Amino acid sequence: MMEGYNEKSHFDDEPAPGNFVRAFDAFPKAKPQYVTRTSGGGKWTVAILFVSAILFWSELARWWQGEEDHTFSVEKGVGHSMQINLDIVVRMACKDLHVNVQDAAGDRILAASRLQEDATLWSHWVDGKGVHKLGHDSQGRTDTGEGWHDEGFGEAHIHDIVALGRKKARWAKTRRLPRGVPADSCRIYGSLDLNRVQGDFHITARGHGYQEMFADHLDHNAFNFSHVVSELSFGPYYPSLVNPLDRTINVADAHFHKFQYFMSVVPTIYTVAGGSASTKSIFTNQYAVTEQSKEVGERMVPGLFFKYDIEPILLTVEERRDGILTFLIKVVNVLSGVLVAGHWGFTLSEWLREAIGRRRRSGRSEGVIGAKTGYDE
Amino acid sequence: MPPKSRFTRLDAFTKTVEDARIRTTSGGIVTIISVIVVLYLAWGEWSDYRRIVIHPELIVDKGRGERMEIHMNVTFPKLPCELLTLDVMDVSGEQQHGVLHGVKKVRLQPASQGGRVIDISALALHDAKDEATHLDPSYCGSCYSAPAPSTASKPGCCNTCDEVREAYAQASWAFGRGEGVEQCQREHYAEKLDEQRHEGCRIEGAIRVNKVIGNFHFAPGRSFSNGNMHVHDLKNYWDSPVRHSFEHEIHQLRFGPQLPADVGQKHAKSSPWTNHHLNPLDEVKQTTDDPNFNFMYFLKVVPTAYLPLSSSKTSGNDRTTDENVWLGSLGSGFDGSMETHQYSVTSHKRSLNGGDDAAEGHQERMHARGGIPGVFFSYDISPMKVINREERAKTFSGFLTGLCAVLGGTLTVAAAVDRGVYEGATRLKKLQSKNL
Repeated sequence: MMEGYNEKSHFDDEPAPGNFVRAFDAFPKAKPQYVTRTSGGGKWTVAILFVSAILFWSELARWWQGEEDHTFSVEKGVGHSMQINLDIVVRMACKDLHVNVQDAAGDRILAASRLQEDATLWSHWVDGKGVHKLGHDSQGRTDTGEGWHDEGFGEAHIHDIVALGRKKARWAKTRRLPRGVPADSCRIYGSLDLNRVQGDFHITARGHGYQEMFADHLDHNAFNFSHVVSELSFGPYYPSLVNPLDRTINVADAHFHKFQYFMSVVPTIYTVAGGSASTKSIFTNQYAVTEQSKEVGERMVPGLFFKYDIEPILLTVEERRDGILTFLIKVVNVLSGVLVAGHWGFTLSEWLREAIGRRRRSGRSEGVIGAKTGYDE
Repeated sequence: MPPKSRFTRLDAFTKTVEDARIRTTSGGIVTIISVIVVLYLAWGEWSDYRRIVIHPELIVDKGRGERMEIHMNVTFPKLPCELLTLDVMDVSGEQQHGVLHGVKKVRLQPASQGGRVIDISALALHDAKDEATHLDPSYCGSCYSAPAPSTASKPGCCNTCDEVREAYAQASWAFGRGEGVEQCQREHYAEKLDEQRHEGCRIEGAIRVNKVIGNFHFAPGRSFSNGNMHVHDLKNYWDSPVRHSFEHEIHQLRFGPQLPADVGQKHAKSSPWTNHHLNPLDEVKQTTDDPNFNFMYFLKVVPTAYLPLSSSKTSGNDRTTDENVWLGSLGSGFDGSMETHQYSVTSHKRSLNGGDDAAEGHQERMHARGGIPGVFFSYDISPMKVINREERAKTFSGFLTGLCAVLGGTLTVAAAVDRGVYEGATRLKKLQSKNL
C-alpha cells in the first residue's frame, strides 16, 4: 500500500485538475511492480504486430482500390441527337459509294457530306496488327472480339477509362498511297450527328438502292463490300474505349453481298465518385451487336447496313471509395480484433503450458483432475 | 467474496485486484475521448440503421395482357377544340378514333385575352347537347347520300350536324364547314366554328391502352379509317381565316400513377443524367407559326414498380390489374406500392414541306415530305422492368453487430493507446530520475 502511494505521488505532475480527470480512467493499469513480462508474451506481441500490419495493409489496399457500383435508371430530359463515330474501309472506290442514314423519324441523313472519304489501299488495312475477322465461337455466337480489352481495359479500372477519355480525340491519318499504285479501297471516317431514334446507317453502291436522277448504274463487277471496321461507336468519340465492332474485318465472297449489323445501344456513364460530374465522369454508349451477312439476289440491295436502336435504360458504372472515417473504423475494428484475439491466444497458451507442465511434474501420482484443481487455487 | 461457483474457473474477464491498480490522468483523458468517439460512432450506426435506401432491381417484365394508363395535360394555344382530335392506335390492331374516355377538352381564350378557361366538356363522342330537341319526332334528316352512322340516335337518319359529320367521316368524305347541310345550318355549325377560331384548347385526362407498342396523336379534323389508311379531314384546318398551328405545351405526360414527390428526394444518389420518377416531357414547350408542322416524340416506356417499406415483400406482381378499376387508379396498391412507368424520350420536328435541318446546323439531314400536321407520340415498351424497393440500409441485428464492433473496437484500441502512453511516461520518468 505504501509503495502504491509513493508511486502515485511520484507520477503525478499536475495537481488538482488531474485528480478529477483521473477519476474517469476506465483503463486502470496494474502497478508496475505487479506486472510481469515473459518471453512468451513478447513473442505474442510481435506476432500480433505482424498480423495487424498485414491486415492493415490489405485493408488499405482494398480501400484504395475502391469498389464498383452498377446502377441503372431511366434517362432524364428530352433527347435530340446522338453522335456516331466511325472509321470503315470498304474495298470499293470512294466515288462508287453512298453513305446515308434513314431513321424512324423519317429523316434521311446524307452522311457522306459530313464524313471524310480517303482513297486507300486494302492491303494497308488488312495486314495491320490486331485486325481480325468477326468470327463465331463453338456455340455459333458471334465473337465480338471482347478479349481484346485484356490490357488493363477490364471494367475494373474506371478511373483509367475516365482519365483516358479526357484526352483529345483525333482521327488517325490515312497512310499515303504509294506512287503509281491506284487506290482500290475507300476509307470513310468521321463523326456525325444522328437523331436519337432507331435508324439504319448504310453504305451502298452508287445507282443501287436509291432512286437518283443523275447517278449512273454501276457495273456489278465493281461491287466488293469487304470491309474493315476500325471504329464504330456512339456518343462522344473516345478512342480509348473499345467497342465490339472495333478492329473487325468481314470479307464478301460475292459481288452481291449484304452485311447487316443489328446493334442495341445502351447509354452508359462511367463515374469516379467524389468529383464534379464534368471532370470525373464520361457519358458514352455501349452496344451489343449481332451480325448477319449473306449473298443476295440481283433484286436486293447489297451493302453494309448498321441498324441501331437505343435502349431506354441508362447504365451507370461508378467507382466508389468509402469515406476516410468508415475506413478508420474498419481499421480500428480489425486492429482491436487482432489485439483481443492475441490476448486470448496468449492466455490460452500460458494456461496450456502450465497445465502440461503440472501434469508432467505430478503426472505419475495424481493425474489430470488434481492438477486442475491445483491450478484453480 | 461469495463462495466460488463452478463458473469461476471459466471467468474470461480476469481482473486485477483493486489494490494493484492505478489510475492516471492520461488514462482519464483517453477514456473521455474514447467515450466521445464511441457515442459519435454509435450515432452514426443508428442513423445508418434508420436510413431508408431505394434499391433498384432489374427484372424481365413477366406481366401478361396488361393495360396501362396514359395521363396527359397538353395545351394547344393556337388550335380550337372543335378542330382537335386525339387518336390512339396500337400494334395489336386496336384503333380508337377520337377515343376519349376520361379525357376533357378545355376551351381556352386566346392568349391575348388572358387564356382563361371558357368551357370544359368531357370528351364523349356523342354528347346530347346539340340534340335538336324541338324537332318533330318523326323527323328523319338526310345523310346526304352518305350511309347513316351506326351510332345515330334514330337508325338510318342523321338528325344532328354531328351525325352528318360522323356519316361523312365513315364514308371517308371531307365535310368542311357544313354549307348546304340543313342540320348544320340549323345548329349554326359554321358560325360556331368561326367563333372558336381564335381559341386555344387544352386536353387533360387519361386513356387506358394495351401495354404494347403504339402511338397516339393529336391532329386536326375528324379522323376516319380508309382501308388501311388513317386519314384526317384537314379541310377546316387549312381553310381558315386564322392561322392555326400545333404549337403546344405539355404540362404533364405520364404513364401510370405519379409517385409521391418525396420519393425522388429519398433517392440517395442524384446524378445529373437521371432523375427518378420525374417525367421528362413535363413542362416541355414547342413553338411554331407554321401550320404545316409535325412534332414527333419517340418514347421508350420502362415499367417501374415502387415498393415502399410498408408493403409486403412479395415481388409486386399482385397489383390490381382489374379492368374495372377506376381510371386513374390503375397500378396503385393499397399499401402504397405502385406499378407505374418511366420513360425516356427523343423529340423530333419537321415541316411537312420537307427540307433540311440547316437552321440547326445539320445540313445533311433531309426531312421526309408530306404527312399531316400534328403532335405524334409513339411509344415502345421495354422488356425490362425496374423495381425500386425501399429498404433499410441495415437490419436490426446488423445494427447491433455494428454497435458492438464500434464499442469493442474503440475501447480495445483506447486501452492499447492508454497502455502505450502509460508505459512511455514511466520510461520517461525513469530516464529523468536517472539523469537527476
